Formats: sequence, structure tokens, C-alpha cells
Amino acid sequence: MRYKILTVDDSKTVRIIVKKAFKAFDCEIIEAANGVEGLAAASKEAPDLILLDITMPVMDGVEMLTKVKSDPALKQIPVIMLTAEGGRDNVLKIAKIGVRDYIVKPFKEEVLVEKAGRIIDLKPLSDGPTKAKSIFDPATLLVVEDKPAIIQQIQEGLKHTPWKIHGVNTTGEAIDFCSKNVPDLIIISLSLPEEAAFTLFRLIRQNVKTKYTPIFALVVKTEVAAQQQAQQVGFSYIVTKPLEISDLESKIAKAMNLDTSQRYFAVDGDVFVMRLPENTTQTVVGEVTNYLKPKVSEAVDSGIVKAVIDLHELKGLNMAVIKLLIQAMQTCKDLALQYTLVGNPQIVSECKGFEDTRNWHFHESIVDAKASFGKAQPAGVA
Amino acid sequence: MPTIDQISETVFRETITRAVQDVFKTMLGRTAALANSTEVATADGSPWEHPVQISGQHVVGTVGFIGDISGLIYLYLEDGFANVVASHMLGMTLEEIDEAGHEVVNDAVGELTNMTVGTFKNQLADKGFPCKLTIPSILRGSNFSIEPVSSATRRIYRFQVGDHHIVADLLMKSGDNGS
Repeated sequence: MRYKILTVDDSKTVRIIVKKAFKAFDCEIIEAANGVEGLAAASKEAPDLILLDITMPVMDGVEMLTKVKSDPALKQIPVIMLTAEGGRDNVLKIAKIGVRDYIVKPFKEEVLVEKAGRIIDLKPLSDGPTKAKSIFDPATLLVVEDKPAIIQQIQEGLKHTPWKIHGVNTTGEAIDFCSKNVPDLIIISLSLPEEAAFTLFRLIRQNVKTKYTPIFALVVKTEVAAQQQAQQVGFSYIVTKPLEISDLESKIAKAMNLDTSQRYFAVDGDVFVMRLPENTTQTVVGEVTNYLKPKVSEAVDSGIVKAVIDLHELKGLNMAVIKLLIQAMQTCKDLALQYTLVGNPQIVSECKGFEDTRNWHFHESIVDAKASFGKAQPAGVA
Repeated sequence: MPTIDQISETVFRETITRAVQDVFKTMLGRTAALANSTEVATADGSPWEHPVQISGQHVVGTVGFIGDISGLIYLYLEDGFANVVASHMLGMTLEEIDEAGHEVVNDAVGELTNMTVGTFKNQLADKGFPCKLTIPSILRGSNFSIEPVSSATRRIYRFQVGDHHIVADLLMKSGDNGS
């Protein structure tokens, strides 16, 4: 739902600042320069929130507020006063007419957004499905953990990614970090003293900027009660210690809704390449399986008729990998793609040991594989 | 009825300093330091020697306050600095500000003055001198002087903001004297 915010201020500057403040959120800003225009806009647009100045020509904010609150059609609209008119007595008098909040100018845009976010469910604007962030884009991850060794382990384990891992030891440092930066993902250790992890979780969720940031719980595998509690309060994922870094990486990518297909699929000249990494875990198999058909179809759709299945980095075979490879070959066949395989001696040797794979023929490199197109198809592949 | 005589010079200085510093810090992320201040006695009919040295183009914002004490505060900004202020407040480049013209800069300076005077008078209100703000207005020009009506007191405060000066010119009279 796209929220409507009506800003009523005779200063164009303030109206521009308000627009700027909410630019990153999914909401529409409607402007009015005085109380009369404000009332007309409120009736016409039925805004979800009104930001109202006091000192204005034609009709001031107090008169407009009084009229809004006495109109059955408008009185439910929450109003935040945004005005240079402060002073205790003044604020109390206006609060009695019925305002949800009061911001005295000068004001920081963050304060305005935070207070508005307490009234309406502000959602950050997403880039949309066509601009989905990829696994190769930079991102900021915050790890809140009182054991430096774990932070270091995560930083080391994910150093091949473009992600910047910022580690802090306390909730105070975490809040301070979040006030200056908006992390793309937060990992909180449940071992922080006095249930601090859960308090921090609530604070992060209350902040409009981090309301939708994925939050992972980090917990020792055997601490089942803490895991259940984390699930109940709404942590995005539970990650257990000892850490399985590749599993953590996959969960992070999934939680941030990253396109990871580029890790496994590419177009090299006029050839479509599917590559399996050294450690093709069950999670990787799952990811590749999901991308397989759409990616092959996309390649065929763009005019490509040749494919290479590249296993030269793969360390070993297992049933899940074999099933995936068979599925990949079948997909190529279904779409009339010529395909061939690239493998290392280990994989070539292991393939000899399985009935389904013993006839697979491998090239030693992508160059060889590409050169083979146009010649006779390798036995057992086409 | 309280009068401005009950407010010491120190309170005026601290109040306007806090107001200017608060506004510049919050809205522009800049530090304003009080460079000097001048108290000018009530005008007595003798020729007014203008204490604000104006040279070059200036944009001057004015906002009044009316109540138990009444007055006007003028905020003097050099023309170029006014553009910088508008650029920062509006999130526009200086080129965009140039293209947008005086109206946009005037509005930004008006709002800056409104916030400054608001912060100033809200502090006085909390000290027992309630008053209300008026709508900002803007003057542009060079080599001009502003002369207060008789019976008003005048105080001049000069602030340093980076390489720029701004001047706050306070003209006040007790509310029971009218405004």
C-alpha cells in the first residue's frame, strides 16, 4: 500500500525537505501552502498522515487542526505538528486539540521519518524485480557478537564476497552503527548477556529504516530453547555454531533476495556455460536447480545453441550432483542445445564408477570444449 | 506584565547563540561561533549609526515575535552564502540553485530565519515570556540600513560559520508597549 502524506507549510523549502526525507520510502507526498489548501487536499486525497505547520498566511495550522478534528470525515487522520512554534505551554495547548506528535523546527529528516514511521508502516522503496541485486554487488553486514573469534571467522569466511562485514561486541555499538548506516543484513548472537539479543531485535524492528532488514540469530546448535524463542519473535534465519560458512553465505543471499545465478551460469561468446563450484553442497544444488530451466531458456531465447557444463573445479561427485547434471543435460536436449562437459581427472575417474555416468565424455578445458562444437558429438553426451 | 528589562544581556546572548548554533548544526551540519556582540542603547532621537556593516550583496531574513515581549530579528547572510545555505537545505547543487533563482533562496533563508527566531523565542517562552511568531519576509540588497522605531532596544550578534559571517540583529520592545 502506498501511503499518502500531506505536508502543509507555507515554506516551499520545508515542503522540499519533507519530500527529500521520504524519498527512499514507498509513499506519496502531497503539498499545501496554507490551512485552506490543506483542508481541500485532505478532503480530496484522504491522506494517511498530515504534517502541519502553525504560522501560515490565509489559515494557520491551529485553525486547520481544529477544523480537521471537528470534521467526521477527517478527524481520524493523524496529524504531526511540524513547526517552529514551540514552548511548553504552546505545545500543551495544541496537543489538547489532538495531535499524534509534535516536531519543533529545526528538525533532522531522520527524526521526521522515524516519527512518521511510528504512525504509518513506511516501507523502503525496492529497486523492483528487474533491478534485483546480485551476489556480486557490495552490501553491508553487521555482526553483533561478544566473541571476537566468531566475528573474525565470519569475516574470513566471507572475504571472497563483495560484502563488508562490520563486527561489534555490544548492543550499544550496534545501535550506534545502525543510526549512522543502514545495514543490508544483521546477524545477532543470542549469547549476548541478559537477553540483549532480543532487546536489540525489537529496537531494530521499531526503527523505520531497519524495520525490514533481515536479522539472523546466531546460536550454538544445542541451545534449542533459544532457537525456538528466536523463531517466535521473528528472526529471519537461525544460524548455528559451529558455523558452516557456505550455508551462512547461501542464507544471506536468500535473505537479501540476491540473484546468485551469475555464480553458476554465464554466456561466453556464443556458448552458454554452467559451472559447478568446488564445494557443490546440497544448498548449491538447490540453487542451481532453481535457476537451471529459466537460465537455459533465456540463453536459447537469445540465439545461443551451444552449452558447456563445466565441472573442472568440482572436487567430488555425489548422488545429488549426478541428478543435477542429468537434469541439466536433459534440459539442454529438450531445448535442442548442443552440449559438452569439462572435467578434472578426479571427476573423470569418479564418473567411471557409476552406471549412469560411465559413458560421459569430458574435455580438459573450456577452450577444448568450445573447439569441439561442430565436430562429432562426444560419446554418451548428445 | 514582565518586561524585557528583566532579561539580562547574558540571557539574550546565550539564547540567540543557542538558537543560531542549533539551527545551523541541525539543518546544515555546520558550527556557528559567536564572534562578537554589540548592545545598542534605546534610540533617543539622535542619528542612528548603523552598526551592521553591509558590504556587497546580502539576503536578509526577518521574522517577528509578538506577545509578552515583541520584536524582530533580522538575519543577514552574504548573497553567496545564502546560495550555499539553500543548496544544502534543499539538496540541490549550486548550479541548480542559480537556475532556480532568487525565489528559492529567499524561501530557504526565510525558513532558516523562521527556525532561528522560533528557537530563540521558544526559549524565552519557557522563561515566562510567551509570544508568537510572524511570517518571514526577505530583503535583498547592498549598502542598506535598517533603523528601528524609537523605544526599541537593539542588539547585534555576529557569528562565524566557516569562512562566512552571519549577523543576527535583534530589535525588541516590551509587549505592553505594543508592537
